[in-house]
Amino acid sequence: MESKNQPMLQAIDLSKRYEDGHLALDNLNLTVETGQVYAMLGGNGAGKTTAINLFLNFIEPTTGQAVVDGIVTHEEPLKAKERIAYVSENVMLYPNFTALQNVDFFVKLGGKTKYTKEDYRKVLLRVGLQEEAHDRRLKGFSKGMRQKCGIAIAILKDAKAILLDEPTSGLDPKAAFEFIHLLNTLREEGKAILMSTHDIFRAKEVADIVGIMNLGKLVMQRTKDELVGEDLEKLYVEFMAGYMDEVA
Amino acid sequence: MFSVLFEKELKSIFLSPKFVATFGVCSLLILLSVFVGIQEYKNEVDQYNTAVQLSEQQMMGESSWWGIENVVFRKPSVMQVFVSGVNNDIGRSAEISTWVEPKLENSNYSSDTLFAVFRFVDLTFIFQVVLSLFAILFTYDAINGERERGTLKLALSNAVPRAQYVLAKFAGSWVGLTVPLIIPLLVAMLMVMIFGIPMDGGDWARVLTLIGSSILYFTFFIAFGLLVSAFTKRSAVSFLVLLVAWVCLVLIVPRAATMTAGQIAPVTSVAELESQKDRFRTDRWRAYGMQRSKLWEERRTAMEGMTEQERNDYMAANRQAWDEEEATARDATMDEMNEHSRKLDEELRNEKMAQEKLAFTLSRFSPASAYKLTAMNLADTGTSLKNEYEDAMKDYRTTFTQFVETKREEDRRANRGRRGPGSNANDDEPLDLAELPRFDAPKQTYKEAVEPTIIDLGILSVFSVLAFAGAFLSFIRYDVR
Ligand SMILES: Nc1ncnc2c1ncn2[C@@H]1O[C@H](COP(=O)(O)OP(=O)(O)OP(=O)(O)O)[C@@H](O)[C@H]1O
Ligand SMILES: [Mg+2]
Repeated sequence: MESKNQPMLQAIDLSKRYEDGHLALDNLNLTVETGQVYAMLGGNGAGKTTAINLFLNFIEPTTGQAVVDGIVTHEEPLKAKERIAYVSENVMLYPNFTALQNVDFFVKLGGKTKYTKEDYRKVLLRVGLQEEAHDRRLKGFSKGMRQKCGIAIAILKDAKAILLDEPTSGLDPKAAFEFIHLLNTLREEGKAILMSTHDIFRAKEVADIVGIMNLGKLVMQRTKDELVGEDLEKLYVEFMAGYMDEVA
Repeated sequence: MFSVLFEKELKSIFLSPKFVATFGVCSLLILLSVFVGIQEYKNEVDQYNTAVQLSEQQMMGESSWWGIENVVFRKPSVMQVFVSGVNNDIGRSAEISTWVEPKLENSNYSSDTLFAVFRFVDLTFIFQVVLSLFAILFTYDAINGERERGTLKLALSNAVPRAQYVLAKFAGSWVGLTVPLIIPLLVAMLMVMIFGIPMDGGDWARVLTLIGSSILYFTFFIAFGLLVSAFTKRSAVSFLVLLVAWVCLVLIVPRAATMTAGQIAPVTSVAELESQKDRFRTDRWRAYGMQRSKLWEERRTAMEGMTEQERNDYMAANRQAWDEEEATARDATMDEMNEHSRKLDEELRNEKMAQEKLAFTLSRFSPASAYKLTAMNLADTGTSLKNEYEDAMKDYRTTFTQFVETKREEDRRANRGRRGPGSNANDDEPLDLAELPRFDAPKQTYKEAVEPTIIDLGILSVFSVLAFAGAFLSFIRYDVR
């Protein structure tokens, strides 16, 4: 295992200016330790997905670094990606493959080749995908069902860090509830989890650290302890508004 | 890692419903085309045999070597089952006579115009047009489709080297699309054997080389589809781009090249050529006639003042010399005319060859042309087929004429003093054709057939490698989002 003092996920002065000149991420600094859940809040276009894409080296940073387990992602992307599991906003899989076939393919790409079909089924059940759907083609799957497959794939990859881009979008209340339970388990297993979400209540419930982003900047960051007794929704609205005032 | 990607690629091809449908149609087309090819070949062989027999019977029916006419026929080639080339367009028979150069006439399409309307679709056409489209249909969204679907992001969130990803994409598509094609092709080969098409070792070698070339051509389109899909973000765009490119490469470039070559290197028209020959012939005959009348004038002058008796004696004494002189002069004139028309024909042929070469060179910018040229060269049903045959027929004409000349000479000797030339010693007996030289159909060896294809196969390989290299480089920098 890595040394305790080295954070698993770290953004250091991370900025991204897109080709069209838009500054989507402005000097982001954040740290997620092993066994921590970091929830990124923020309105549409705040830069959450941009930050996650930088960790995955889908885009190159304009300045700064995204670091995974001590590895600078844009310098050694493959090594960094070995340590990351990822669930996108809208999990898309192969429509002609069954759930199991999809899981099998992506988990193998993640470098895990020892699993049996039963292992897949167990995890799929754990994330709430009912048994009868396992051997069905993805064609008829709802967004939530696909999301569950995506989460199962991430769990099976068994990486040290997990990046979740709005993982609960599309999940029904029961599945969302179970997902929070799942996050707690993963945290206990020692994963470092960075997730973006619009769900303020769940964020407060599960996160060790909550960050609020606006227009590419991290405008607020509180730990769970600091949030005890606070109304996060009020804080959120205040910070967004305050920041807007500042900008104006 | 590679094998995981490769396997998935195969699986996704085989599981896609469009694969089953398209593959079924393509297989059917291949089988149908070879089947029809076999039937047509058999038909042509029958026709050929009948025609040869008829011509022989006709010759046997002749009572003298003086009136003999010979017609030779182009022998159907087994390779036309796969590559019809110009087989149906050029003539199937040529008259061999002392007076005119042999010329192939009576093509399939000129006698059966209905077939010209619904042209025979051969294996080459299926590969050139149908299967190249098929390749595009399966690769146009190879990369950008994965991006649109979002699967590329998920795949590349893992430690997957992009080089391996694109390589597996290519290898997977190639194997997934090519190997299934081998099945109908093998069945087609089986059909050829079952129907007893007389293929020798060289023919099989040609067919195998043809299949190899077809797959190389197919490979180009797979790589090309990959290239365009790795160069564009949206599959709708890549599909359109590929369709336009396909139309250009398969339909436009070859024709445009031919038209351009026609402009740059024009060829004397047949009508022009004939009139040139005609003019020369008329001139020569006129000169000959004038020379004759001058000569007779001189002879008349020489005989002036002779008595009737003296004149008859003089003429009898000179008759043979005069006859021989006249024959020599006539032969010389004819030789001169033949030489002239041979020269004109050769000039025309050179012009045509220059134009053809230019057209081929230009058209090679399209892999479709390179492929078609390869196929026609391998099958020897290309533009050179006509020349090959006409050359062989000219050679045969020389042998034939010489043979007939000797026979006539023999006749003349046997009949001298009895009856005039033009009658056989034994009128009612058929001619003995056993010694008559036969026409041998020219046939290229495998080596001769393959040699000219090397350049085109090289071009196809280069095109394929370039397309894949382009796809590779483009994908290394591809924006996966
Ligand atoms: N490829 C791109 N080129 C230019 N601008 C982009 C590009 N991708 C994103 N942006 C812009 O960057 C900003 C941040 O986008 P991002 O997707 O990171 O937001 P987000 O916080 O994930 O929003 P949401 O909650 O809607 O998912 C937005 O203003 C967006 O328009
Ligand atoms: Mg987002």
